[in-house]
Amino acid sequence: MINLFSFKEATNRSTTGGDPNKPTSKTTPAVLRVTKDLNELQLPGTCKVIHPDPNNLLDFNLTFTPDEGLYKGGQFIFSFRVPVEYPHSPPKVKCTQKIYHPNIDLEGNVCLNILREDWKPVLTINAVIYGLIFLFVEPNADDPLNKEAAEVLKNNKRTFEQNVAQSMRGGNVGSVSFDRVLTHHR
Amino acid sequence: MINSCKNKMRIRFKEFNGVAIWKWIANDDSCGICRMPFDASCSECRYPGNDCPVLHGECSHCYHEHCIKKWINSQQTNKLCPMCRQEWKSVP
Repeated sequence: MINLFSFKEATNRSTTGGDPNKPTSKTTPAVLRVTKDLNELQLPGTCKVIHPDPNNLLDFNLTFTPDEGLYKGGQFIFSFRVPVEYPHSPPKVKCTQKIYHPNIDLEGNVCLNILREDWKPVLTINAVIYGLIFLFVEPNADDPLNKEAAEVLKNNKRTFEQNVAQSMRGGNVGSVSFDRVLTHHR
Repeated sequence: MINSCKNKMRIRFKEFNGVAIWKWIANDDSCGICRMPFDASCSECRYPGNDCPVLHGECSHCYHEHCIKKWINSQQTNKLCPMCRQEWKSVP
């Protein structure tokens, strides 16, 4: 008679070394989880996820083209690097362009609570993307990575709007030049 | 044939195999951390059941024991349920 336990024991014996209850396949927990996250993405038309290497699900880019707010007309590209500890560690997200935003520094680091101190393993790639969208609808002057931009946003909304428009055209704000991110010529 | 034997079965059981099914009692179908069904194992394990049990929190949220313990052990200060951010206390 086939006995489940003897079957289990036989399989355990055949796998050499390591924890016998660990899967032998190369699919890591992070890949399994990311696959589920990507299959369940529910994104607005302004967002697109692109995998430069289809064999590597852990590295991908997000293209975001806001249809409202101060950043409308721009196209922003974020790189996502999912660590092997995912979902116990958050994905590493960077803006690939140099942009003028109070919560994104000139190196592209993003200040979003759920990417840092408020990360929880029940969050998903979808939740992170919605967090990014929110940053572009509502730049937050209270938690800045680009302090100059945050000061301007706090003190003079009108100047801030002009600075955003100027930077998106590839112009300078102060002494800093920014990348052109407009989707079309005006 | 059956009529002639007056409801008495003319067979004798030599052997039978009992079959049982099991299911974890949980508030959800799948673990919020690894997103695998509770009735399957967490993504670190190969066999479901006793090798990969489900842990209930006092806040009513459930996770694979391996998933929630890995998360709780990685937290230095506040050991909170990842779903509701209440203090994580597992129900024995």
